[in-house]
Amino acid sequence: MADTPHRIAEDEAGKRATFDEIEVGQLLGSMEWTPTEAMIDQQCELDLDYHAWFSVDSPWGGRIAPPQISYRPPRWLFSRRYNVRGLFYKWEIENVRPIKAGITLNVSGTLAEKYVKNNREFVVYQVQAVDPDNNVVFRTRRTHVLDFVDRTAPRAGVGLDSGIKSEKI
Amino acid sequence: MAILTASTPVGHELPPVARQFRAEHFKRGDEKTIHTDLEAARREGLPAPVAIGPQVAALLFQQLRMCFEKGWVEGGRCEIVFRRPVFVTDFCVAKGTVTRREEGRDSVRLHCDVWIENQKGDKVVAGTASGVVPHGSDKGIAK
Repeated sequence: MADTPHRIAEDEAGKRATFDEIEVGQLLGSMEWTPTEAMIDQQCELDLDYHAWFSVDSPWGGRIAPPQISYRPPRWLFSRRYNVRGLFYKWEIENVRPIKAGITLNVSGTLAEKYVKNNREFVVYQVQAVDPDNNVVFRTRRTHVLDFVDRTAPRAGVGLDSGIKSEKI
Repeated sequence: MAILTASTPVGHELPPVARQFRAEHFKRGDEKTIHTDLEAARREGLPAPVAIGPQVAALLFQQLRMCFEKGWVEGGRCEIVFRRPVFVTDFCVAKGTVTRREEGRDSVRLHCDVWIENQKGDKVVAGTASGVVPHGSDKGIAK
């Protein structure tokens, strides 16, 4: 098995979602997400990207987060619906308003599209977040390739990796 | 003060932002993933652990925040493709060029080509981005 190209069939989180099981139009659901000052600190440390707006104060009143903190909540929504690992392929992002510490956002999305290209399977999901006044804060559209290995390889292996991570920054 | 202003011309190069990645930058507790563990990566068909995409893309976001400041936080847009794997010990540098000016009533949206190169000069991430700069933002800037 080790020498035969194959795709991972299951991991610690159970059976991996297959291309056929992923349903275009499927709602990914929604979640309430409140960025905290600790999350902002962690995002800055992960990215080694520091600015007074993130650490002290900003023109919008209080600390804001680096906009890319918006990466994880949409991924969590996707992972709640489908046990997918794969690789990140394409990232579209629109920063509409600042993400502020302590302001709860409603994050919701859908499975937008799936396609095969270069003998690999791609899935696309889109998500937006709104603040308590229903103002859009960010929009994003993501494309993941389900496997690095070609889709002609059988699903047979067991991964060390889990498609569902703890929901933290 | 934002680096780009209402008078920034097409062709202007964005300041590069670089980072030497280390394996420990991608550790999350004891998790064994394609980002942290050689065997986990090999099982997925990868030759070695790969960097977490958003942490690589963050070089571009830092560059765009420096260039646009408020106009990145409110109105920034980006569309990038991870063209090939970035490995956890790669050196990466974000680069970019202003490609188009879109005049608005109160501001200018500056469109850019953006990309990230590894230590071999390969474009591992590439795409486009834009942000807004207000008219009058070039006042007082030394030419």
